[in-house]
Amino acid sequence: MGLVAKELRKSIGNPAVEILKGLSFAIEDGEFVALTGRSGSGKSTLLYLLSTLDPPTSGEVEIGGIATNRLDSRELHRFRNEKMGYVFQFHYLLPELSALENVLMPARKGGRENEMRGHALDLLREFGLHEKSDRLPRQLSGGEQQRVAIARALVMNPRYLFADEPTGSLDSVNGEKVMSIFQDVNRRLGTTVVMVTHDPEFASRAKRAIHLVDGRLATPT
Amino acid sequence: MIRLALRHLGARKWQTGLTLGGILLGSAGFVVISGFMLGFRETLLDQLINNNAHVRITAREEFLTEHGLDRAFFPEDTHVAWISPPAGRKDSARIENPWGWMRRLEGDPEVASYSQQYRTSAILSRAKVTVNASLVGCDPERQVRLTNISESMTSGRFEDIGRGGNRLVVGDALLQKLGGRIGDTVLVTSGTQRPLPFRIVATYATGNRAVDEATAYTYITDAQKAAGHPNEINEIGVKLWNFEGARTYAGTLAGTSGDRVQSWDQLAESFLTIFKTQDMMRYLITVVILVVAAFGIYNILSMTVNQKRKEVAILRSMGYEGADVLRLFLTQGLFLGVVGGILGMGFGFVVCKYLATLPSPRTPIGGAATNLSISFDTAIYVTSALLALLSSSLASFFPAWNASKLNPIEIIRAGAE
Repeated sequence: MGLVAKELRKSIGNPAVEILKGLSFAIEDGEFVALTGRSGSGKSTLLYLLSTLDPPTSGEVEIGGIATNRLDSRELHRFRNEKMGYVFQFHYLLPELSALENVLMPARKGGRENEMRGHALDLLREFGLHEKSDRLPRQLSGGEQQRVAIARALVMNPRYLFADEPTGSLDSVNGEKVMSIFQDVNRRLGTTVVMVTHDPEFASRAKRAIHLVDGRLATPT
Repeated sequence: MIRLALRHLGARKWQTGLTLGGILLGSAGFVVISGFMLGFRETLLDQLINNNAHVRITAREEFLTEHGLDRAFFPEDTHVAWISPPAGRKDSARIENPWGWMRRLEGDPEVASYSQQYRTSAILSRAKVTVNASLVGCDPERQVRLTNISESMTSGRFEDIGRGGNRLVVGDALLQKLGGRIGDTVLVTSGTQRPLPFRIVATYATGNRAVDEATAYTYITDAQKAAGHPNEINEIGVKLWNFEGARTYAGTLAGTSGDRVQSWDQLAESFLTIFKTQDMMRYLITVVILVVAAFGIYNILSMTVNQKRKEVAILRSMGYEGADVLRLFLTQGLFLGVVGGILGMGFGFVVCKYLATLPSPRTPIGGAATNLSISFDTAIYVTSALLALLSSSLASFFPAWNASKLNPIEIIRAGAE
């Protein structure tokens, strides 16, 4: 079933500027896809549309056979909470909460905080942060903060992981760690990963790349 | 969301403390101001209600009008022009049918007691000292059931005026003005009659200086005799079981007679007007304080929302809805309102307890209380809590609403740029 984009268009501003110009493609379940392109090509906008954070101006996104534009707000939020994980360029951790509490935030929304606590600790252990689970974000390094953010994205065992320049604010060592985690999650758990990146080296680690030029697909998909 | 809301507040201790302080002061201010004003009011009302009759029936003074005597002198003529029109007051004011009133009041289930009186202005003199006073003639047995004068006695018993003729009970202050003592004889005259000797047998102190230095009580027939109006009644005091119904009851009685019937609250209209002004003042002061506190909440939450935009965005990406975000910030405002309100009530209560230990100055109509009278009415505390809750709800709603409407994509894009 996977993730299907049908004639996706997105315009913003007034007067309207068309950022995405009728994109149609499919991503299979379990794929690791890199969205690449130059700045302003529309790759981040495409990611937000695919991940339902932003509605398209026209066209449709189908995820697992469900047309997301037909879901009401409550269903869409639940779908996002249970099926999707997000990693952004900046970690956006809640500074008042510990690493573990941050990881458990998606579970708390669904009332599954206690149920997921063990899994959250496993994720932190896996990412080398078990000893730091009680620390506040400001007591962690940039790389550690981003790994906490990835653990947060994965705590609900999502079928889809969306990442927007996840290594953009990290040094090469931490960037490498993040990429290894993504590859591992994709390979081991079968999680579909859609990642926006500028870095050709990291893009090459994906199974497939979708390259955008001025809001259009540059390569056939 | 509650835990996160509390963490947000905890992370900004200084701002949170200041805002809590504002609400605390507003709430405590309302409790103290209300406690003080309502306590003062309760004392005054107690004086008004218990030291006086609930309903007072008095003779209506009638004045001659230009054509009031036309029919008496010229029964056949329809148009009379006086060279010097009649003017003046009709005889002395007296209740025309006191027996009718007594029959009416005796069987009335609303009436707890009543007392007929003859009240007149008098001059009391002892040696070379003369003092103007109001001489009240009454039946002492009935009078003590009408008011709590017997509780205000400082020496002797009020009922002593009924034991033998020409006996007086005077206020402490009046006795002091006369320079006399218990057992002294003073001369009493209404001005139109020759002075009669009266013996002072008891004294009282209601705390109301205007009464204590200018009112003397005697037996009703002795007062009538001193005024030269035997068997006349010019006032009937009525005590009701339910003093709050006095105005309605007075209205009912007034409709059945030409005499003037007034309730205690009509007689004390000016005081009750002061109460209304007091109410306006205390609500105004409190509203001002709470508005300031509300602006504090509004500011702190607006700043928080501004600072937490990225976190709002990430919460939305995790599946948190606008309503969750609204709840996150609303909880913070309500927490400030509830905790500030409770602390304010507690602080206000402590201050009121302290004020209640301070000595009281004399009130305009009563000063018998030894300490400041402070009200601890539950309604004050409930109102204070509601005001704090209302102001914090309103103040926190708008920033919370704005937060719930934030577009996560715009925030994330702005963060990435």
